[in-house]
This record gives sequence, C-alpha cells and structure tokens, in this order.
Amino acid sequence: MHEPDVQVGNSGPPLDEEKSNMKILRACTILLAAAVISMGVSSLAAPCLAQDANTGVAVSFADTKQVLGLEGLKHNVTGTLFASNGSLVFTKGKKKVVVPAASIQEVLTGQDTERAIGGTVGTLTMFAPYGGGRFLSLFRTKIDTLSIEYLDPSGGIHGAIFTLARGNALSAKKALLSQGARTSAPVEVEAQAQAKPKEKKQ
Amino acid sequence: MKFTHYLSALVPLALVLLFTGNTALAQDKARTKIPASSIQILAVQSNEVNLPIEFQLALYENLIEQMQKANKFQHVYRDGDTAAANATDLVILHSNVYGFTKGSEGKRQVTTVTGATQIKVHCLFTDKAGKSELAQDVTGNVRFIGGNLRATFDLAKKVAQIAVTNFQ
Repeated sequence: MHEPDVQVGNSGPPLDEEKSNMKILRACTILLAAAVISMGVSSLAAPCLAQDANTGVAVSFADTKQVLGLEGLKHNVTGTLFASNGSLVFTKGKKKVVVPAASIQEVLTGQDTERAIGGTVGTLTMFAPYGGGRFLSLFRTKIDTLSIEYLDPSGGIHGAIFTLARGNALSAKKALLSQGARTSAPVEVEAQAQAKPKEKKQ
Repeated sequence: MKFTHYLSALVPLALVLLFTGNTALAQDKARTKIPASSIQILAVQSNEVNLPIEFQLALYENLIEQMQKANKFQHVYRDGDTAAANATDLVILHSNVYGFTKGSEGKRQVTTVTGATQIKVHCLFTDKAGKSELAQDVTGNVRFIGGNLRATFDLAKKVAQIAVTNFQ
C-alpha cells in the first residue's frame, strides 16, 4: 500500500518545496491581513471604560500613554488611568502610581496628532524604499493631551503629560476635578476653545 | 628653491597657530568653575511667548532628569521643595522662554526640511541671594526624528552640559 507513496516521494521534493512555499505565502498574507485589521479595530475602539465623571464614581481610561512625569515610570508607557477615591491612579502591569487629586494644582487639555505606526517600527519605516516611510507618516491618529501639575509631600512641583484617545481628555479632566483637583481653565471654556477650530473649518 | 621658501614661510605660521591654540587652551583651563553642591530648578517661565503647558512641563521635567543624569550635583531640588532652603552651595536655575516655534512631526517626516520645532530659553544660574553667576541663551530643536516635545529634551541636555562645564 505504501510503495506508491515512496515512489511519489522520490520524485516529490520539488512539489513539497512548492507546497511549503505556498503555505508560507498564505501564512504571511493571513498575518498581514490580521495586522491591518487589528490596527483598524484598535483605532476605532473607544478606550474609555465608562462611567460618570460628575458623580465622582471611578472613571478609567485604558490605553492612556504616560508621556513623562510620573515617578518610577519610564517615558511613553501605555497603561490605564483611573480617577477614583480622591486620587489619580496610573497602572501599567504591576506598577501603580498614585497622585492625590488634592495635590493637583492644574489640569489642562489639548489636542494633537501622532503617527498611526509609531515606535521602533515607525522609525524603521524611514528606510523603506521609494519613500514608503514618508507615505506611511501621512497616516496620523488624532489624540488628546492631558497635562497635570501636582505637588509632592515636600512641596516640589511635578508635571505629568498623558495622551488619550480623541474626546477623552475633557472627561478625564472632569473626573479629576470631581475628585478634588484644581484648574485655572474650566472644562466648559476648554471645550469651547477646542470646538472653535472645527467651526471655522465648516 | 621655491619649495624651501614655501616651507620657511609656513613654519612660522604653524608656530604662531600652535602657540595661540595653546594659550586658548590654557585660558579655558584657567576659567574657574563655580562651586556648587546642589541645584534647584525653578518652573519654566514664558512671559514673552505663549508656550503650551505640555512644553512647559516637559521642559521642566527634562531639565530635572538631565541634571540628575549629569551627576554633577549632590541634590537636584524641584521648584517649591522646602528642603532646598537648608542646602549649602545651592545654585538656582531660572529658565525663561523667549522664542518658540511649534513645528509639525508630519511635515518633518514627509519633507525632511520643514516643520522643525524650536524653543529658545534664557537660562540664568543664581545663588540663593539672587546674585547672577552665569547666564546663557540655549536653543532646543527637533528637526527630523521625534515628536515636538523632543525639543525640550534636546534643550535640557544642552543646559545640563552647561552646568557640567561651568560648575564644580
């Protein structure tokens, strides 16, 4: 029963190679498609996980990037930002930084954009042929920035900057203010200021 | 003959250059360094230009980080730190932003030559009494790779380098 198989096997190596090549190609195509889909879905997903900022209930913002400023964390770390129990909490894995909301002297928001493909991969795309890297850098994601200024127990001023998905910074600010943080620019004023450029475009 | 004439003209010139170089080096070495064991970094002021808050905070935080990395001072105090009042040989760094151009990361990456972000800061090092010890203008740029806030990192590195070269 197995003899024909052996014969086929003897004349077979080129066929096997073709098959394996086809498999690799298919796998690559599937991986590429999956990467593209996941990128698209991740940009669409609303990272704000809830709730009501006005009632003082815990509000969390997943996929928040801590650009700099929190003690014990590296720059550009992505984690979850909570506003609960009278404090701002940023968690990244097991690491957790707590800033009492009462020590926050200033909370300001802003708007910006960042590369859709960033980090090391984004930098490596510069070496892509035919200006591929430049082309990719045209794809940008709109983000909100949240800047806070707070005091440590010895009175030293600290600053921290976060980036959140577009539309979340104002609700984060509301949540922090409801927990006891202070600001020089009320939420309504900032909301109006951020809405103005859109009106001009229309 | 021509060659020897040429050489004889060059030798004195080379000697002059050598001596002037040596005296310049000697002057550099003779420049006295200002004694300081700790530094307090005050919050960044921007009275002349409208600097966004994220740039102010990033500049302040980067200044503190780079001063700590430079390992020149025993203590690096933040603005408002009560412990700084008891510090001896304290130097205070005042930073005033007098120029700011916000570029665009997208433009930089697409065109290479446009979209640079630039921050110009007047740095003043004083003692506790407010007596000026060193003043210098520093410019921070980001021209190609990195976000706009990277200009603050560049500037902080330059300021830390100034502190390293001028303080003991």
